[in-house]
Amino acid sequence: MSARTHPISRFGAGLAAACWLAALPVQAESTNAAVSEKGLMAAQTCAGCHGTQGYIEHSAYVPLAGMPRERFINAMRSFADGSRPSTLMGPLARAFTEDEIAAMADYFSSLPKEQAGATNAQGGDDS
Amino acid sequence: MSISRRNFLKLTGASAIGAGVSGTPLARAARNARVVVIGGGVGGATTAKYLKLYAPEIDVTIVEPKREYRRPYGSSEVITGQATMDDITISYDALKHRHGVKFVHESVNDIDYDAKRVTTDAGTTLGYDRLVLSPGVSFDFDAIEGLTPELAETRLPHGWDATDQLIELERQLHEVPENGTVIVGPPPNPYRCPPGPYERSGLIAQWLLDRGDTSPRVIILDPKNGFTTDYSMLHAWNELYRFNIPEPARSKYSEEELAQLKTWDEPGPIDWVMGDLGGRILSVDAETMTVEAEAGTFQADMINIIPPLKAAKIAFDQDLVDESGWCPVDQKTFESTRHADVHVIGDSCIAGAMPKSGYAANSQAKVLAIQLRALLAGNPPVEPVFQNTCYALAGNTESGMFVADVFRLEDGTIVRVDEQRYLPFEATKLQKKLAAVYQHNWMQAFSDDCFA
Repeated sequence: MSARTHPISRFGAGLAAACWLAALPVQAESTNAAVSEKGLMAAQTCAGCHGTQGYIEHSAYVPLAGMPRERFINAMRSFADGSRPSTLMGPLARAFTEDEIAAMADYFSSLPKEQAGATNAQGGDDS
Repeated sequence: MSISRRNFLKLTGASAIGAGVSGTPLARAARNARVVVIGGGVGGATTAKYLKLYAPEIDVTIVEPKREYRRPYGSSEVITGQATMDDITISYDALKHRHGVKFVHESVNDIDYDAKRVTTDAGTTLGYDRLVLSPGVSFDFDAIEGLTPELAETRLPHGWDATDQLIELERQLHEVPENGTVIVGPPPNPYRCPPGPYERSGLIAQWLLDRGDTSPRVIILDPKNGFTTDYSMLHAWNELYRFNIPEPARSKYSEEELAQLKTWDEPGPIDWVMGDLGGRILSVDAETMTVEAEAGTFQADMINIIPPLKAAKIAFDQDLVDESGWCPVDQKTFESTRHADVHVIGDSCIAGAMPKSGYAANSQAKVLAIQLRALLAGNPPVEPVFQNTCYALAGNTESGMFVADVFRLEDGTIVRVDEQRYLPFEATKLQKKLAAVYQHNWMQAFSDDCFA
């Protein structure tokens, strides 16, 4: 556990962001059950604001479902190094590990942008 | 008593048939596992919803006497009129009809840990493979002389669990005479919603000023010397309300920051009597409307003391608390250290560095849903990661703040791993305004994640 828990805030943010991106696996392994568990685990932390599984409408919060992997990672990187202004995403992005960010990116990019099934059937009354 | 997995599955199958689910083959027992959730608040609702999302085959039943939920988060705004009781009321319909969560709207009477069975006051019996309790908190009225549960319903409401006491507090606030005095008594640690009593104090001060009072008083009598978001809150009050930061609290700021803080010759409405200055409340007299604190006697027109908190009554009744008054759990799976196959999350549990907040309960619930899916399938639990975010208002609803934390498990204890957690001192007006915008959006987004 300790090997993978390196909150990048322990380093200079800019340097850390660079190291961290370089260390991200190139290929998502979302078919692997273990990775999927890891994705679920990491991504659930976002849902309290960004909606269950990253689905949200009519909100100040950005939907995350279907966000391309690189866009997610770049957003987190720029929050972490401060180049993208934020309220609380800066501190949060700095606190997650590179593995967790990659797992979140894999998870959200694997979901369709539009929510299918049960929730849609409700006519979108759950904004 | 320990039961082998094999026997446990047999028992499960047998009681499922007994409960009227006819013909359930034993081989399918593991897949059709039953989870009973006691408590339909944030923790219980989120656990149930996410269990159905992650493992729809699991049979999930929430036992909750109330027909709808009233959210405590953001509920101080009822007192000052930004929200109504309707605004803080949330339906269980989505959980019932969209997610397939079963509800039993009855109170739990007994839990038989050996038979793995919950019985309600109406006589309903529910067998379980895993039991989850997210029962919230109860109040220790005995800790403050003169405070009673009966007075909390009349002259001395705490308004800390989203009941009609909020309406009574609103009524009392309206009856405070011009330039009157309101006392707010935050509880000692640990308690639900750490920034809450201070946000409420700010909201009340702002309300009195907006009414036209020129010199109202909001006196915070506090047993503590600090609180979550104090760094942002005290700074905001210093700017918004001519608030002088008490001497012992100035150590929260750097020399550079202190130089930017103002000292007011004529301080505004809010007075924070922190623990080191004698803020701890000893007794209260509802007849004379006086509060005795270590610092002396205070007279007020309205008194809002939030009693010390402890785990919910059911946790005491069902042998789930330790000498601390809270529920010890394995912090990876939230399984009680006192009873097997029973998990306790939310305000009642001891979760290391995690606060007693709605977001924390929601985060614990989602971790628990992942762990329960794994455990019920015979797999090991997953390494958890948690988050907490609390938004708060300074009083002025355009000035927001937050705490944002990430937590991990280290040596069996949940620890906070982030360094910066508040808005920086030099945050712009826009950032504070945005925090307030997010605060209001969060009420809906968060409620939806739990209940919709």
